[in-house]
Amino acid sequence: MKKKVLSMLMIAAMTGSLLAGCGGSSGGGSDTGSTSSGDSAEEASSDDSSAEGGDNSLSVYAWDASFNIPALEAAGEDYKNNVDSNFELNIVEQSASSDVENAITLAGSSGDYSQLPDIVLFQDHYFHKFNVDYPDAWLDVDDADIDWSDFGEEKLSYSMIDGKHFGVPLDNGTVVAAYRTDILEDCGYSLDDMTGITWDRFIEIGKDVYEKSGKYLVSMPADGNDMPYIMLQAEGVSQFEDGQPNLTDNETVVKIYETIAQMINENVLYMPNDWTGYTNESIVGDMVCGVMNGNWIIPTIEQVADNSGKWAITSMPTLSGDEGYASNGGSSFYITSNCKNPELAKDFLAKTFGGSTETYDNALKNGGVITCCISAGQSDVYQEGVDYFNGQPIYSDIVEMSSKVKPIEQSDFHYSLRNNTDTAIVNMVNGMAVGDALKDAQDQTVFEMGGN
Amino acid sequence: MPRIRLCLRWGEIEEFSNAKALKGGNALQKGNIEAKQGRAGWAFVTPATVMIFIMSFYPMVEAFITSFRTGSSAAMKWANPFSFNYTRMFQDKVFVTSIGNTFLYLIIQVPIMLVLAILLAQILNNRHLMAKGWFRTMIFLPCATSLVSYALIFKSLFSTNGLINSFLVNLHILSEPYNFLGHPASAKIVIILALIWRWTGYNMVFYLAGLQNIDYAVYEAAKIDGASSWTTFWSITVPLLRPTIVMTFIMSINGTLQLFDESVNLTNGGPANSTITMSHYIYNNSFGTGVANFGYASAMAFLVFIMVAVLAFINIKVGDTRD
Repeated sequence: MKKKVLSMLMIAAMTGSLLAGCGGSSGGGSDTGSTSSGDSAEEASSDDSSAEGGDNSLSVYAWDASFNIPALEAAGEDYKNNVDSNFELNIVEQSASSDVENAITLAGSSGDYSQLPDIVLFQDHYFHKFNVDYPDAWLDVDDADIDWSDFGEEKLSYSMIDGKHFGVPLDNGTVVAAYRTDILEDCGYSLDDMTGITWDRFIEIGKDVYEKSGKYLVSMPADGNDMPYIMLQAEGVSQFEDGQPNLTDNETVVKIYETIAQMINENVLYMPNDWTGYTNESIVGDMVCGVMNGNWIIPTIEQVADNSGKWAITSMPTLSGDEGYASNGGSSFYITSNCKNPELAKDFLAKTFGGSTETYDNALKNGGVITCCISAGQSDVYQEGVDYFNGQPIYSDIVEMSSKVKPIEQSDFHYSLRNNTDTAIVNMVNGMAVGDALKDAQDQTVFEMGGN
Repeated sequence: MPRIRLCLRWGEIEEFSNAKALKGGNALQKGNIEAKQGRAGWAFVTPATVMIFIMSFYPMVEAFITSFRTGSSAAMKWANPFSFNYTRMFQDKVFVTSIGNTFLYLIIQVPIMLVLAILLAQILNNRHLMAKGWFRTMIFLPCATSLVSYALIFKSLFSTNGLINSFLVNLHILSEPYNFLGHPASAKIVIILALIWRWTGYNMVFYLAGLQNIDYAVYEAAKIDGASSWTTFWSITVPLLRPTIVMTFIMSINGTLQLFDESVNLTNGGPANSTITMSHYIYNNSFGTGVANFGYASAMAFLVFIMVAVLAFINIKVGDTRD
């Protein structure tokens, strides 16, 4: 008898957990608790349903606890203090940006958008593709009370479709060329020697620095190599023309790839295998004397406390020797079609990320998020010198540089092309002719574009 | 009167007082028990069957249908021409590369691994070996590690500042660290080494079980006849182990063709797609690079399915000793 009772209990427990696992979204609902960063995925579903009930709450997906989540927390506080004291912001932390992309893919594929939060943070380069694939997943923010002219044209081009605004920009992806001034000095160079130079001169200096100090001038991972993109944007050239990849027939593109291959072969550019190798081995592991990437790489540089005060930032080299400006990465907020209160969501975004200095000041202080909003970038916090960069006011410098980035043609297949050019670069380094390698990359991208 | 007592135990008593009635009653009883057992059996099997249908077979059918469709997964339409996804994959250079890589792993790694496994099993089957339980556990232990964590450990072992490079540089075999995972040939070798380390013990356990089913008297007889251990191995062990060998071959082929974790976690398919496997490329086409090309990915997955089926079929035919 005892055994029977026990087995019945076990069956009940198993069925119970099975049902709980499948039907999580139907449960919960009263959990409009505190602003919760670091929620597990399971809690996410109950947060969603709370969004349905509450009139003053919004749920948001974001993914970086040391970067964009502090920015969201700052915005939530700002809105609560200055607009609506009953407002609740439920931040649902995702482990990576791809989780947000997969959530949209899943919802779009099943046609069931009810699991999505009110707002998602989304990578800029992916938005166009996801808007084309899943048009029903998004609501536009065109009528939100935002002065769009306060944002850089280049940044807005990612979140605009047919002249309509879909997103509110969060962070600024402006590329910084950061150098270790102490090592440069030891080798006989100054920051001015690195500013407004040609890539040929950059290679000369790089070879010299490697010989004298054993450090590479710059690094970029073999897997996810953004170097071609940012170098070409500094030239104002896109790898796409009229929607098609254009590598082999574009002289500037070919020249840039030749330069990259030369930099790798002459120990100017170090190419670790992957992203972890790039951040942990080359930057934190102190193998390089320079870093060139979106300014979101700065927290990684700052991880080495010993090098405080030794870094400085400037613009990129170009083929002609003019100062180069580019942008890489960055993300924006988008309202999903599952948003139960779009007016509140728009109002929230407009009164925080739409230009509130309070939001952006705290986002910078707590998360190192640099705004794309030009007026917010003029606040006092932005003018302060940064100790790690020897007192240089890098934030206002970056905001200023961001206004000089030229928009170039974007493509839904940005990451497909990047994958294929990664392969091309490895092949070039292993001895394949630049033209052949680029032709392979171009053909493969064209092939992938014909797939859908 | 045991029969009557049995009847009593089953609780239906008085009316079956004569032998004939008793006999009939027994038959009735037997039918009831069988029916009852049958019902119990079905009750136990049904949930699992229903689950398999819902969780495995239904998705397989759906995937097959999807493999003939294209477009965004929110609004998929029939491919035009109908076999678009299937003809397309053979023009896809990366997919062809991934087939090549996978078969290279298969051809090199599976034979090495199975030979090693059978040799280890033979050694550990020795009755006079000391602490063989300990040895067996040690060799099986890699199978207890998760695929992702062992791949990451191999990655850190073979990284430019990893343990292997430190060893080789300090022993003056290499003058400077070698980027094992950054060169096509060495990256492939590292993956094969990792696979051998992870799966040899697993196959060894099957061989050990097979060896223990071979009567020791057979070996003694061979010894008395003067057979060397080499002859014994080839003439007795291998033929008697044949069913196990066929099974491990099929499992290894199946596993290797579906190789995913190592490619993703050790090398991420690189450098220049030289280590990417079919499953990894299929994943890239559905989630990996945000492309969400589910129709094409399903079609490739079905090609893998056909390959596994064909290879397993050949293997069974070759391994079948019946004429």
